[in-house]
Amino acid sequence: MALPLVFDQVALGHDGTRAVVSLDVPGHRAVCLLGDQTSGVGKLGRFALALEQPPGGRVLVLGENLAALPRRAALAFRRRVGYLPAGDGLLQNLTLYDNMALPLRFGSERSEPDIDGRISVMLAMLNLQHVARLRPAGVNEEERRRAALARALAFDPELVILEQPFDGLTHRAAAQVLEIARGGESAEGARRTVFIIGPSLPDMLRPRVELRYRLVRGRLEPEA
Amino acid sequence: MVAPVAVIGSQVARQVARVGALARFSFSAFGAWRTLPAAGRRVARRVLLNQVWFTALQAVPLVIILSSILSFLVISQAVRELGRLGATQLIGSLLVIAIVRELGPLLTALVVAGRSGTAIAAELATNKVMGEVDALEGMGIDPVHYLVLPRFGASIVAVFALTILFDAVAIAAGLLAALANGMSSGRYFDIVLQSLAFRDAGLTLVKGLVFGTIIGTVPSFHGLGVRRAATEVPIASSQAVVGSILAIFLCSALFVAVS
Repeated sequence: MALPLVFDQVALGHDGTRAVVSLDVPGHRAVCLLGDQTSGVGKLGRFALALEQPPGGRVLVLGENLAALPRRAALAFRRRVGYLPAGDGLLQNLTLYDNMALPLRFGSERSEPDIDGRISVMLAMLNLQHVARLRPAGVNEEERRRAALARALAFDPELVILEQPFDGLTHRAAAQVLEIARGGESAEGARRTVFIIGPSLPDMLRPRVELRYRLVRGRLEPEA
Repeated sequence: MVAPVAVIGSQVARQVARVGALARFSFSAFGAWRTLPAAGRRVARRVLLNQVWFTALQAVPLVIILSSILSFLVISQAVRELGRLGATQLIGSLLVIAIVRELGPLLTALVVAGRSGTAIAAELATNKVMGEVDALEGMGIDPVHYLVLPRFGASIVAVFALTILFDAVAIAAGLLAALANGMSSGRYFDIVLQSLAFRDAGLTLVKGLVFGTIIGTVPSFHGLGVRRAATEVPIASSQAVVGSILAIFLCSALFVAVS
């Protein structure tokens, strides 16, 4: 079975020290790759989903190189991956409920009551019922992040890519985001594979992130 | 000696490339309805209705005011001046050619471009700057399907419908002007109906479709063309309106040349 995520000689090259990242992300693990803003680490999620082309190398997602797929096929494939972009990427003119329902309404044949059932469960799980009918501008950063995560998990993907997911969150909220992204535990580890990119990881979350790497001067180093 | 020529050449090449990119974007937007997934149609239809509300229905009062004032002024003056010359039958030609065929579609398109063209460009540019377009792509939703296609459809519906409204109000306001200047309603309608040919009505509606297409694509192109800076949003809005108005006038001139 293919690894959920493979970075094969992916060139970042931003800060003069042209970094090349090769990393296998194993299934059922939470893996983080840390690096400062200039390292180019923040682009790995975009490279994985073929939202941007890396200067070199390739990324395999669930065994598939999205950059090589035709556009329609790449769009359809992305529904198999949960993606939480930096910030939150919520549509400002939709309520949190409609934001969470959007991928299901647009990308599946589910009926409206079916979608409503799933969103209601997600809202309860993320404690967002009281703000579900508000727009992103009307809620706080934690609630926006949780809503964006719920949207990323709409199709219950096996792989989740999180860009700077804990920025601006309290430790409690950050832990909640991570646990929801992991999706519970199975015999093999986390139910989902979680790939986290960002400048830092809160200390209290380290035990829940099995593999931790940091990009230092263009080299990938495992963290103790 | 060579440097100024090189600068002009590169500017021209850049503009030509931009027009080419706009043409490609327009064709892809036009063809996007064919690739819209069945499930996405329901969502796109909802966005389309929203856009029709903003673009067409909210512009109705402005179109009625503009059309009635324009028609009242033109017909009042025409009845007075042409009446002195005994050529009141020319009022029909004036109303049909000047207002129904030329100014109706043109002013309607300018109203929609000014009201909604800026809004479309600013909204899409903000979507881009806020990372919402990338988020849509990341969810497997084509931004052209979700953002562009409904606005494109709504602009066509809006300009088409508002042009019909503009012309109907112009004829009605012309009647009031004629009555106020001593012409009977029977005579007014005789003159107008004699001058109004099926071809005029058809040409007006074709113009509505073409201008609607321009307003649906040019602002979307400029809006989605921004990169990541908020300062690009007003620039995109301005370019969208200028580009739309320029294209509308060029097409209007082209219609006159070929018809």
